[in-house]
Amino acid sequence: MKAFSNVNPKDLKEATGVLRQKGRSATIVGGGSDALGMVKERLITPDVLVSLKSIRGLDQVKEQKGEVVIGGLITLDALSRDPLIRKNYNVLAEAAAHVGTPQIRNAGTLAGNVCQRPWCWYYRNGFPCYKNGGNTCFSITGENEFHAIFGGGPSFIVHPSDTAPALVALDAKFRIVGPSGERTIAAADFFKLPSDNPARENVLANDEVLAEIHLPAAKAGARSAYHKEMDREAWTHAVVSVAVVMEMDGQVCKTARVVLGGVAPIPWRVPKVEAMLAGKRITPELAAQAGAAAVEGARPLAKNQYKVPLTQAVVKQTLVKLGG
Amino acid sequence: MKKISRRRFVEGTSVGIVAVAAIPEIKAQEKPASTLPRVPRTAIRINVNGVDHRVDVEDRWTLVELLRDHLELTGTKIGCDRGECGACTVLVDGTPLYSCSQLAVWMNGRSIQTVEGLAKNGKLDPLQEAFIEHDAPQCGYCTSGQLMIAKALLMKNARPTRDEVRTAMTGNLCRCSNYNHYVEAVMAASGSTPSTGGGNAA
Amino acid sequence: MTPLKTVGHATHRIDALQRVTGGAKYTSDVHLPGMLYARVLRSPHPHARIRKIDLSKAMALPGVKAILTHENCDTTWSSGDQLGQRRLFNNPVRFAGDPVAAIAAVDRHVAEDATHLIEVDYEVLPFLTDLEEALKPGAVAIHEGGNLSLNNQRQPAPQTYKRGNVADGLKAADRVFEDNFTSAHHNNAQLEMRVSVAEWSGDKLTVHAATQGIANCRTDIARDLKISEDNVRVISEYMGGGFGNKNQCQDSDLMAAMLAKQAGAPVKLEFTRKEDFVAVHGRWSSRQSYKVGVKNDGTLTAIQMTALTGAGAYRKGSCDLSGTEIYQVPNLETSVSPVYTNTAVAANYRAPAYPQSVFGIESLMDDVAYALKMDPMEFRLKNMTRKFRDQTPYTSIGLEDCIRKGAEKFEWKKRWNPVPGSGAGPVKRGAGMAMGMFGSGLGRSSAVVRLDGQGQYYVHVGVTDVGTAAKTTMGLIAAEELGIPLEKVKVVWGDTDTCPYSVGESGSRTTVQTGMAVIEAVRDLKKQIAEKGAPKGNEILTAMATTNPPQLQGQSRNSFAAHFAEVEVNVETGHAIVTRFVSAHDSGRVVNPLTAQSQVQGGASQGIGMALHEELLYDKRSGLPLNAGYYGARIMTHLDAPLVDVVWVETDEPYGPFGAKTLGEPTIIPTVAAVANAIYNAIGRRVKSLPITRDKILGVLA
Repeated sequence: MKAFSNVNPKDLKEATGVLRQKGRSATIVGGGSDALGMVKERLITPDVLVSLKSIRGLDQVKEQKGEVVIGGLITLDALSRDPLIRKNYNVLAEAAAHVGTPQIRNAGTLAGNVCQRPWCWYYRNGFPCYKNGGNTCFSITGENEFHAIFGGGPSFIVHPSDTAPALVALDAKFRIVGPSGERTIAAADFFKLPSDNPARENVLANDEVLAEIHLPAAKAGARSAYHKEMDREAWTHAVVSVAVVMEMDGQVCKTARVVLGGVAPIPWRVPKVEAMLAGKRITPELAAQAGAAAVEGARPLAKNQYKVPLTQAVVKQTLVKLGG
Repeated sequence: MKKISRRRFVEGTSVGIVAVAAIPEIKAQEKPASTLPRVPRTAIRINVNGVDHRVDVEDRWTLVELLRDHLELTGTKIGCDRGECGACTVLVDGTPLYSCSQLAVWMNGRSIQTVEGLAKNGKLDPLQEAFIEHDAPQCGYCTSGQLMIAKALLMKNARPTRDEVRTAMTGNLCRCSNYNHYVEAVMAASGSTPSTGGGNAA
Repeated sequence: MTPLKTVGHATHRIDALQRVTGGAKYTSDVHLPGMLYARVLRSPHPHARIRKIDLSKAMALPGVKAILTHENCDTTWSSGDQLGQRRLFNNPVRFAGDPVAAIAAVDRHVAEDATHLIEVDYEVLPFLTDLEEALKPGAVAIHEGGNLSLNNQRQPAPQTYKRGNVADGLKAADRVFEDNFTSAHHNNAQLEMRVSVAEWSGDKLTVHAATQGIANCRTDIARDLKISEDNVRVISEYMGGGFGNKNQCQDSDLMAAMLAKQAGAPVKLEFTRKEDFVAVHGRWSSRQSYKVGVKNDGTLTAIQMTALTGAGAYRKGSCDLSGTEIYQVPNLETSVSPVYTNTAVAANYRAPAYPQSVFGIESLMDDVAYALKMDPMEFRLKNMTRKFRDQTPYTSIGLEDCIRKGAEKFEWKKRWNPVPGSGAGPVKRGAGMAMGMFGSGLGRSSAVVRLDGQGQYYVHVGVTDVGTAAKTTMGLIAAEELGIPLEKVKVVWGDTDTCPYSVGESGSRTTVQTGMAVIEAVRDLKKQIAEKGAPKGNEILTAMATTNPPQLQGQSRNSFAAHFAEVEVNVETGHAIVTRFVSAHDSGRVVNPLTAQSQVQGGASQGIGMALHEELLYDKRSGLPLNAGYYGARIMTHLDAPLVDVVWVETDEPYGPFGAKTLGEPTIIPTVAAVANAIYNAIGRRVKSLPITRDKILGVLA
């Protein structure tokens, strides 16, 4: 790796101060695995790594004024095992449990997973694409087997995070901290389509840190699940995934949130499907209709047409399992 | 077939032969400047297998690099250096991590256990014995990592099922693909009923 | 088969203790005083001429000690290309990854930093990534003479085999079947990355090499560096797998040696994992076309195969396809054309010419069986080979028992669907099988056996043990022949200074060839003991043997196998997983059932990965690889690997050490086809291209 110095700020104020001061020559590190991998590949060549590992208290799960507040630096392993999360926000526990491998989950953080850069192989191999500061997307006429069928253009990456769809489905809020203050925004507003800015996946500025995730109080009768299709039994990013949260009243689904992963540059909410399910019993027929609705308007590329029937099946099968 | 001189094997020395052809001419290169540029370094304290070390590390050294190249603990192997294979798995305060994906500086004050720390007072860990018994290592390159992840598993779950073993060890590749024997060995070490280890069978 | 005392009993590896304690010293564990580290700069272009290299910035980086490029190093890497077309540093560079410079520095970070300071001016040339495009007139010639690689007679013509007359055979058929199959280039992906450590002491060179054959490595190094073999010592005491990509010497061995000479210090040269995938080699890709003629009763009348194989940028391997030899058929014609493209080189990976071609022929034969409404197992029993190439008797053949006993263990009748795809779904189950064979010739190798005055026996063999437990196997063979327990035998391995020639662990020949040398050396030792009496005090008796293998008098020696796979396929998501697997093997007498079982189970899981996941994928427009590495290749994990049941068919083999035949490579040969046939049986549609990924499954179901 190109040489860098590692700094251990004592709190977020100091951390974001360093980020502002150093600009693009600094990178924050939560768990470290993703950042180190990118530094080794020279995708980024920071002079300074700002390690958040030394900051205490940013990795807890707490109930606070009816909300559940999760520190951004909680490891994915701890998150997946947290009794409160498993009980009331199962989709998030399942999503965290599906990231990578046990060793990765022992180091990787929730904030790191949400802010993870894409795994598009053009980007990761240093092609001069939008994500690498260029002005093209190589997947459009290239190997786009794993690229977007929704929301693509001018970049066609898919968002690589498992926890992101779950957080959008849970109507989470993100508390972002910068050197001059903080802001809290809806999870859905955190992620940005490439049509906004193809170089970035979210609204985080270079000197900001995703410090906390707030979950609304769990509704009575809530049930949720995360389903991830992978091209090995483990250890790959989602080919297609879905996060479903349903508020049940007996056998009837009062409200639903359905958010897809692996199909778009952002976690892809499907309001049409949510509307179809509202107030209904989830029968196999309705689930099949929902699956078909989920892929309406899909615009596959030359090599990812298969993601359309796959998405349809994943939505249908998950709704049957969860709602039946 | 060249006849092998008996003398060479008994003496272990080579007998001089004929004229040695010259090595291809290589142009001499200019000598570079003598001092290295200043690479950021940090002094850290780290406990490895019960022994305290104070080391001055380059900030960019990974934990596995510190262990292998500077603490002479070469039992932990590097299979990919990208966190994609698990060969470098060590325990950090009892938690299994990919040591290629952690910087040495982040390990300041931490306690590391590597494969060299498994045996106690010359007595092998039951996992090591089971790995020998059930022929878990083929080429052996992933073995240290498999041992450490299995150790972490058994410390948390003393009697895992076959599926729990496979799930816990999912982050450790074996290209020789000796998965069946690894699972069998871990089951045996845990004292579970000997099983045939591994599989997705119905 | 008469049971033996030591051979044939489950035995722990004699070096297992070192492997489980971290005590085994692999090449990358070697640290020498004053050792430098080296890295390689590689071409970013698939095809380019180097106009100019500017080393000044790199040389000025403090800590850089030596740099090699084509300008100061024109060494040929003879084992890198069978036709002598390859140097350590080539100009033009012929694939993205072709070495351009090697740099030695005080540590690996400086070496790596230096690679980024070398400025190369390239003239980018047109390039090819597609086999058929490469053969079109006007395609840029990657080598002189064009892109069809020269054959064994040094002619630009395919490699061919013929018996009988296929045209007549097809005319005589009641039905003719035709189909095409493709397979992808994929990687050996052994856990130990490439690394070489070289050190000079005057004129004597010592190379710590991760190699499958120290003797061959040494011969190659001496030849390529133009120095005497006696001045080259190769050491490899433990190595972390290779499956065929660590045969002979590697370019890293030569580069490390030359950097060490130039720098006047030992050099450790390391490749990254990406370099291992892109710049070493993988299994050749293939495009296979078949015509098969058959009678209505299922008797084969003709097989014709024409194929292209992907050699990559150089001709490092045979690039052949040998799957058709498992069938008995009077008329057979095969024609294989190895074709150059500006992509990663292809060479040996576990049974290099087999699993991909068995995938082709066994997929088609499966279709033939179904069309004739025959159980695929019955079809194979009817048409399986009975003589090598239908004319030479086998020394022993247990193929029928492999099929029958394997089927019984697998419960073939229960698991196979007579109507493929007829399950209810969305998760459908199916069963498939395939058969295979692999040559197990006798050949020359050497061994030394010694007895000292304290009664300790030593067996010196030039093995490095790629993971096959070769050291243990040699010990067992020696112990059996000596009539003593294994504990009384010390095996000495891995150093050309103390070990004689061994054929090297490739072609699955060590057990058979070096094993025979061990037996002959023991016999010589026993004769000496009889003549001179046992040694006393400081006396040592030494016996050496270099085998002079008997001519097999018109016989052919082969191992055989039949594999059975059950898969579950979700027809809505395209997800496929192997749920049950049985490998039945005839390798004569099994020397060590414990380690042999590891080989069989391992080969099967590798084959499943080849069937379902692995491909080194290239971007066509740039000629650059996209997914080099463990993540991109989707190498099988614990959760992907099924339980593999092993059935031994121990035929009475008259030759070889106690009747042992080859085992290491046959273990992957029928696997891929068995999985492909199982998928067909499950879903009723056939994917004819490897790897059988989700998108292809959903594609044939659409």
